[in-house]
Amino acid sequence: MKRRALLRTIAGVVVARPLGKLRDSESAASQVASAPAASLSESDIRTLGAIAEVVLPAGIGRQGRDAAVTAFAAWVRNYREGADRGHGYGSSTLAAPTGPSPAQRYPPQFEALQQAARDRKAASFAALPLAARREVIEATLNQPQPVTRLPARPTGANLIADFMGLYFNGASAWDLAYRAEIGRDSCRGLRGSDERPRPLGSR
Amino acid sequence: MARYEADVVIIGGGITAALVAESVAELRPSWSVIVVEAGKRLFDFENRFEYRQRNLNYGENIWPGDFVRDQSARGVISRTMAVGGSALHWGGVCNRFSEEDTRLKSLYGLAVDWPLEWRDLEASYCEAERRLGVSGEPGPLPEDRRSEPYPMPPMTSTWNLNQLRTWAEKSGIPFWTTPQAKNTVQGYGGRGQCLRCNTCEICPTGARYSPDWTFKQLLAAKRIQLHDQTLVRRLALDDRTTRIAMAQAVREDGTDDDVQYRARTFVLASGYCWSSHLLLLSANSRFPNGLANSSDHVGRYMTGHLAFSTTVDLDLPIYPGMNEQHSLISRQFFRCRPDQPFVRHDLRIWENPGGRGPQLRDASGKLLLGDDLIADWRTRTTRGTARVRGYYDVHPDRDSRLTLDPATKNRWGDPMPVIQHRPDAASAARTPQIRAHFQALFAQLAKANDGRMGNISGLGYQDHPAGGCRMGTDPAASVVDTFGRTHDHQNLFVVGSPTLPTGGCTNGTLTFVALALRSTAELARSQA
Repeated sequence: MKRRALLRTIAGVVVARPLGKLRDSESAASQVASAPAASLSESDIRTLGAIAEVVLPAGIGRQGRDAAVTAFAAWVRNYREGADRGHGYGSSTLAAPTGPSPAQRYPPQFEALQQAARDRKAASFAALPLAARREVIEATLNQPQPVTRLPARPTGANLIADFMGLYFNGASAWDLAYRAEIGRDSCRGLRGSDERPRPLGSR
Repeated sequence: MARYEADVVIIGGGITAALVAESVAELRPSWSVIVVEAGKRLFDFENRFEYRQRNLNYGENIWPGDFVRDQSARGVISRTMAVGGSALHWGGVCNRFSEEDTRLKSLYGLAVDWPLEWRDLEASYCEAERRLGVSGEPGPLPEDRRSEPYPMPPMTSTWNLNQLRTWAEKSGIPFWTTPQAKNTVQGYGGRGQCLRCNTCEICPTGARYSPDWTFKQLLAAKRIQLHDQTLVRRLALDDRTTRIAMAQAVREDGTDDDVQYRARTFVLASGYCWSSHLLLLSANSRFPNGLANSSDHVGRYMTGHLAFSTTVDLDLPIYPGMNEQHSLISRQFFRCRPDQPFVRHDLRIWENPGGRGPQLRDASGKLLLGDDLIADWRTRTTRGTARVRGYYDVHPDRDSRLTLDPATKNRWGDPMPVIQHRPDAASAARTPQIRAHFQALFAQLAKANDGRMGNISGLGYQDHPAGGCRMGTDPAASVVDTFGRTHDHQNLFVVGSPTLPTGGCTNGTLTFVALALRSTAELARSQA
C-alpha cells in the first residue's frame, strides 16, 4: 500500500507536470509564478544529503557527499532565467533563452519524498533507514515512467536524476571512474600534459 | 546624420578585418582607418573565466550578445555578428591549403585554377601565421615544405594524443599535431601562454588568437577608429565614375541614427555571407544586379567542404577531457594522382568521450545507483574512443548561390540572404566513391589496434564556407581580381573568404587571412 501511495504521489508531481505544459496553461503558469524562489531550504539540503548517501559512491565519504550537495545547491542558487544561450555552430538559429529555474519544480518532489517517509512512519526522508530510502529513490526513478538517462544539466523533471546528473557528469566523478586525476575542464597548463594522469589519491 | 571620412573604411569586424586594419596601419601609418561592424564589441576580457564557467554549468552563451537578432540568413552556419566575428568562437586551427587547391583545373580538369602562384600564397601564409601567432609541428611530407618555420613551437601533445598517434601510425599513415593560433610561449603578441583549459571557443587566458585582441591594440595606439553596432546597408557610387563614393549605415544601438562614410578605398571584409549580401543590396540603375556584379557572379559559386566521420573504439588508455580540441592531422590525402579517381581530403583524429560516460541503467535496463553505477562505468573506462574525420573537396556549381529573400527582412526593410550550396555535377557524382573510400580508410585505421569502427556519418552542411565573390582574371567570370579588387570598382576590395573559387579540404581560416593580407599589400601599394 505504501509503495502504491508513493507511486501515486510521484506520478502526480513528476510526470503530470512537464514544463512545456506548464507554460501553455494559465492555471499552471500561476503555479509556477507562485512557486518558491529558486533556492533550497535547509530541509531540502538535509533531504539531498540523505539522497546522496544512496545514489553517490560510498567511497567519496561524508565530505564528498556534502560537496555534491553544496554544488547542487549552488547550481540552483546561481541559475539565471532568460539568459542568452547563443547559437550552435552549423546552424542559423538562435537558441531560446534559458527558461524558469528547474528548481521551481522541486518543491512537490521534495514533498513527495517527505510524504513517502511519513507513510513509513518516519519523521522525514532523512530519518528513513538507508534501505527504505533506496526503495523510495528507486521508485522515483522507475515509476511511472523509468528515467533512462542522467541529464547533462538539471531540468527539473526529476530531482534525484538532476542531482545524480550534476555529480556524475562532474570532474570528480570522472576522476573516480577512471581512478585518475584527469581534471576535466580544468586549466592544466602545458607542462606535464603529455604525461599519463596520476592515479587518484597518489599525491 | 553623422558623416565620417577616412582613407580606408573597412566594413566588417571579423578576423580578416582585424588583420587588414593592422596591416594597413603598419604599411601606411599616415592613413586614417575606420572599421565599421554591425555587432557589439565584447572586450571584457576580465569576465571570460566567468563566461566559460557559466557555459559549462548552464549552457549559456560564451560570448553573450554576440549576434544581431534580425540580421540573419538561412544557410549560414554561425549567427555570430560582433567585433571579432566568427573567429570569437574559433578553435584556432591553422591548416594551410595545398598547391593542388590552386591548380584543380590544370591537374585534374576540375573546377577552376586560382589566379595566383602558390609561392605568393605561401608567403602570405607565413605572414598570416606570424600575425596570428601560430604554433605548429612541421609535417613530414616534402610537398608541405615551408619557407619559414612556425612562429612558435608546437603545442605539447597530450597523453591521449600521443596514444592516438601511436595507434594511428600503425596504419602506415603519418600523423602530426594540427597547427594552432595558440601561444605555446608566454607573451607572443602580448598574449598569455595556453593553459589547456579545454574550452578553446572561449579562451580565458587569451592564448588563442582572437580578433578583439588586435582591435584593442590598434585602438590603444589610436591607429584606427572602430564603429561597432553600425550596420552598413548600402554602398553608393560616385555620380560620374564607377568608384564607390560612400557607405550608408545606420546605428544599431537604439539611436537608429543614419551614418555616412566616405573614403578613398573601401574594403569589404564581411565574410562569405554578408559581403555578397551588401553588394546585392547596393543595386542601382547603373548596376541593376548589384555592385561589382556586371558579371552576374556575386553570390554565385558559394563553396566549402563536406566531411565523413566516425568513432573508433580502441584498446587504449584514453582519459577523456585532457584537451578535446587538440587533434592530429594527416595531409597524406591532399595529393591525388591524376590517373586515379579524384579523392582529396584531410584526416583528423581527436580524443572523444563518446560512450565513456556514466549511465543510469545497465544494458538490461537495471537501475544503477552509487557504487553500482561507478562499477558499471568502469567497464567502459578500460578502452578509449577516437573521433576520426576527413574534410573532402566539393566544388561549387555556378548555381551554388546566395540570393536575397524578399520574404525575410530585417527591421530596416532589407531582404536577408539565403544560401543554398550546390556541388557541381562532378562533385555530386563522386559522393558514393568518396564514402566508400572513407569507409575503407576508417576500417584500415581501426584494424591497426583491434579497434571497432562506429557508424560512418556525413556532415549536413558545408563547413568553412566561402565564395560568392570569387577571384579570377576574367571579369566576365569572376567578381574580383587576384588581389580582391573588384573588376567593376577600382576602390572597392573584397577580402578573405568570399574570394575563394573553391573551398579546399581543410579548415579555411588561415587561407582567408592569408588572402586578405595579400589584398592589403596590393591596396597599400596601389591606392597610395
